[in-house]
Amino acid sequence: MKRRDFLKASTAGLAGSLVGGVGLLSWTPRAHASTIEKTFYITDGMVTQGDGKDIYFRGYSSNSSGLNVPGEHLIVQQGDQVEITIHNTLGSSHSFVIDGISDETVNSGRISGGSSTTVSFTADNVGTYVYYDNRNAPYNRIAGLHGGIAVMPVNSDDELYPGSPTFVQQQFWIFNQTDPDWNDAVRNGDTPDSNFTPRYFTLNGLSGRPPGAPGSGDPAIDSMHDPRSALHGHVGDRTLVRMINVGLAQHAVHTHGNHMEWLTSDGDIRPVWEKDIVPLNGNNGIADIIFPFDTPPDSWPPADVGTYPMHLHDEMTQTAGGGLYMFGSLTDIFFE
Amino acid sequence: MGMRNRTVSSDSSDSTSTSSGGMDGGGMGGMGHACYIYTAINNPPALDPNPDVEYYRSIDMGIPLTMDDGKTINMWGFADSAGGGMGGMGGGSATFPSAPMRVRQGQVVQTHFSVSMMMAHTIHHHGIEPEYRSDGVGHISWDVSGQQYTYQWRPAHAGTYFYHCHTNTVLHAEMGMYGALIVDPPDGPGRVFEDGPSYDLEAIWAVDEIDSSWHDLDWAAGTCGGDVGLNELNPDYFVITGVDGAQSALTAPGIAVTMNRNDRLLVRYICAGYMPQTINFGGLTAEVVSSDGRPLPESYTTGSIDAVSAERYDCIIQPSSRGVYTVEIDIRDWITGDVLGTARTRITVN
Ligand SMILES: [Cu+2]
Ligand SMILES: [Cu+2]
Repeated sequence: MKRRDFLKASTAGLAGSLVGGVGLLSWTPRAHASTIEKTFYITDGMVTQGDGKDIYFRGYSSNSSGLNVPGEHLIVQQGDQVEITIHNTLGSSHSFVIDGISDETVNSGRISGGSSTTVSFTADNVGTYVYYDNRNAPYNRIAGLHGGIAVMPVNSDDELYPGSPTFVQQQFWIFNQTDPDWNDAVRNGDTPDSNFTPRYFTLNGLSGRPPGAPGSGDPAIDSMHDPRSALHGHVGDRTLVRMINVGLAQHAVHTHGNHMEWLTSDGDIRPVWEKDIVPLNGNNGIADIIFPFDTPPDSWPPADVGTYPMHLHDEMTQTAGGGLYMFGSLTDIFFE
Repeated sequence: MGMRNRTVSSDSSDSTSTSSGGMDGGGMGGMGHACYIYTAINNPPALDPNPDVEYYRSIDMGIPLTMDDGKTINMWGFADSAGGGMGGMGGGSATFPSAPMRVRQGQVVQTHFSVSMMMAHTIHHHGIEPEYRSDGVGHISWDVSGQQYTYQWRPAHAGTYFYHCHTNTVLHAEMGMYGALIVDPPDGPGRVFEDGPSYDLEAIWAVDEIDSSWHDLDWAAGTCGGDVGLNELNPDYFVITGVDGAQSALTAPGIAVTMNRNDRLLVRYICAGYMPQTINFGGLTAEVVSSDGRPLPESYTTGSIDAVSAERYDCIIQPSSRGVYTVEIDIRDWITGDVLGTARTRITVN
């Protein structure tokens, strides 16, 4: 794959295991559009959950021997020509689809097992999008074939859309829920025949490991310390978070420490409300928020250093395998 | 008191889970398991010697809640233990929901919280954003067990909040460990926020669903692993501020509203459950003026509101015609969107 300065994302690697992600998104605005190229490999593998169970996943991976769930987050600029090449290393058919990012239809169509294709489009529309497999919907997507892609306004490094409230850093939170029976069915080429009963809940593919738990503090295992997920900032480091829910359950995203500025909902620009809970719909629901990193307003005496959680308030998501509170979909927010 | 014979030790380091050693687990039929509970309090913050408001809360694990079908469900909650006599530890008698807290913007507030050594809990003042050691999140600061701990905060924004336990939260909040928290503006009740709309009367509707099959679980259920079903909520009761929404809430004092035409009613609506809800005002029009303790940049009028877990909406209703209006809150499945149940109350306009 060709790596460009303006297309940095988490580092792939750690063959055969889920990559927790160590890179940071960066963004360099440009006066002119470019051609952006990216290659994904559709791969599969097992990912160990918080209760020790190994669960089957498929992903858009950054190399043929790894497994990335979600795929790397991508950031392009409005007007860029984007060329995504997908090598399907599996035996099953898949696809690569992005809704709304372009005035053209972005849909690879069927990518048969063992074949490759390139999807080309112009990134016409600023905002946050999900790339995903729409075949065998929603099963393939939920089994891991998804990722986030952002389109920045031309020549801007601090806006979600032209004239939006500004930020100084940005990241993605991709939420998913996993029903092991559904993933097993995908693995076996079957269509799940049971109601969706999620037992695992993830943020950017990982889940929490509270202090003292095996893997706690490991950024490749623990979502509280995954740099793609955890927020780090000093007062004033306003952080745009592009939130995507590829699963089926509706979520209530909750931050401690600061209210969020709620900028968009499912692609629509909203009047900006300050909220400590932001709803995030299932089935590729999207919401953009800015976490302002203001001095926590109710601290007495005022204090601007400390750690707070972000968690979902639909608290079933905070569990793994029916118990293990704090082994679910959460991360930490570090006021530094 | 519904205390059970499981214990958690309060020795140990920050990262301690007291899963086996140091307690009577072996003698208790294999119980005595609590994991990822953080009971060591290191470097607590200094307290203001002159707080404006002090609350005292302790734990009650045995609150019977009788439903309209005659069944009684056990709830947990925070007892108002002001006045002492508890020796600081144990209990007191709580209601469901727990006693409200009501303070004024800018006041320095201390919440003194006592928990026996037999268990662990916290108080998180939801939507209030204090220093992290007053935030009540166990894995970041500590859980409270076997002592009294004081949370200190100074609310900067008037509005509707709630407080709840943040230990094994999925279970403890479902068990009812929450209460309303209202912050009034400097000119006090009667105005929603500074320079904001006025109101003549108010109602606090905390709408929640209950899965009675969770209500025999131990306080530490699931924390050490094992499938105790906390990923699946299958509610069978739906309540408004602790009253069964099947029938009782239609007429319950303090929930059902009787008002005069053209008076201004403030509804403080709290989505206190985990499932999404839709509140329908029964033909009345509500002006939504603030949410989650912040004024909206522009209010809007609506006949219904969709909400997700822990959202709050402050709504002014000023009916111009007499009538009896049935307010219905549909609680919907978080995956399918199907209506799981409906809680109802009434606004009678004279
Ligand atoms: Cu508790
Ligand atoms: Cu909360």
